[in-house]
Amino acid sequence: MFRLTTSLLSLALVGVAACGATLPPPELVDARKAYDRASKSLAAQLAPAQLDTAKQALDKAEKSFEDHGVDAPTPDLAYVAERKAELAEATAGKAAAERDAEGADKKFKDAQLEGLDNTKAALNKERQNSEKTKAELEQEKKELGEEKVARAEAEKKAAAAMASLQEIAKVKEEARGMVITLSGSVLFATGKYELLPIARDKLDEVAKALTDQGFKSIVVEGHTDSRGKASDNDTLSLKRADSVRTYLVSRGIPSDKITSQGLGSSRSVADNGTPDGRANNRRVEIVVSPIK
Amino acid sequence: MPQETLTAAQASVKGAEVGGANEDPKAQLHLKLANEQIDKAKKLIEDGKNEEAARVIDRAQADADLALALAQQAKALRDAKDADESLGKLKRKLSQ
Repeated sequence: MFRLTTSLLSLALVGVAACGATLPPPELVDARKAYDRASKSLAAQLAPAQLDTAKQALDKAEKSFEDHGVDAPTPDLAYVAERKAELAEATAGKAAAERDAEGADKKFKDAQLEGLDNTKAALNKERQNSEKTKAELEQEKKELGEEKVARAEAEKKAAAAMASLQEIAKVKEEARGMVITLSGSVLFATGKYELLPIARDKLDEVAKALTDQGFKSIVVEGHTDSRGKASDNDTLSLKRADSVRTYLVSRGIPSDKITSQGLGSSRSVADNGTPDGRANNRRVEIVVSPIK
Repeated sequence: MPQETLTAAQASVKGAEVGGANEDPKAQLHLKLANEQIDKAKKLIEDGKNEEAARVIDRAQADADLALALAQQAKALRDAKDADESLGKLKRKLSQ
C-alpha cells in the first residue's frame, strides 16, 4: 500500500515537473474564473455580444499560453480577457437594471392611471350625490311651499269658521281653550233638555265650524241659574250637555274626542238676582282644545 | 503605432470619467488602473519599448472600457431603485 502511494506521488511530481513551465499565470487563472462566472450570469441573455468578445479574448490568451507559456503577451492578453468578461457582466447588469426600471415606470404609469380613474369615479359619485341632494332640496322646498299654501288655506278656513261661529254664539279665548257659549233659552224650553229645532240649526253651524277648524278635544258643559234645587240643576245641566254632545256626534264630531259634564249653577257668570243675569247663567259652553 | 492606441485609450478614459466612473468605487478603481497604465505606456514609448507599451495600452483600454461599463451599470441600478421607490410611494399614497 505504501509502495503504491509513493509510486503515485512520484508520478504526480514528475508530471508537475514536466508541466512546470506550462502552469498558467495568475492573470489567466483569473480570466478563466471571470469568464466562467460571466457565462453563467445574465450576460448570456442580456449581453451575448460582449460575452462573445470576452470568449474570444480568453481564447487568444489561452492560445498565447500554449504558444508562449507564461511569457508575454500571455499575462497581458489574460488581463484584457478578464476585464472583458467583467465588462460583459456589467453590461448585463446595466440591461437588467434598465429593464427593472422600465417595468417600475410602467407600473407607476399604470398606477397613476388607475388612481386617476379612481379619482374620476369618486368625483362622479360626488357629483351624483350632489345632484341628488340638490333634487332632494328642491323637492323639500316644493313640499314646504305646498305645506305653506296648505297651512294658509287651513288658517283661512279656520278664520272663516270662527267668523261664522261668532255670528251665532259668543266665542272667546280662555286658558282652557276656545269657549263657545250658547244661550240656554235658544237651545232648550224651560226645564227641558230636548233640543229646540232652532238649536239644531245653530249646532249644525257649530259642528261645521269645529270640523273646518280642527281641534284636539271638546268638553260640553251644561250650566243653570241658581233657582230650584241644586241636585235638580245638576241633573238638568248634565242632560242638556249630553243632548248637545249627542247631536254634535251625529253631525260628524268623533265621539272619542267629545265629553259632557253638568255643572249646575256652580259656575255662574252673572247675577242670579235679575232676570237678565239668570238668562246669562242658563247656558251651554263648548270648550274646544286646539291642536297644538 | 502605439501612439494611436494610446490616444484611443486616453479618449476612453475621458469617456469613462464623463460617464460617471468617479462616482462608483469599483469603476473608479479601474479608471485609476487605466490612468496608471497610460502613464506607464508613455514611459515605455519614450524608452522605445513600443511592443511592451502596446500591451500595456491594451490593458489600459480594457480597464477604461470596464470603468465606463461599471459606471453605467451603477447609474442604471440607481435609476431602477429610484423608480421602485417612486412606485412604492405612489402605491402608498393611492392606498390612503
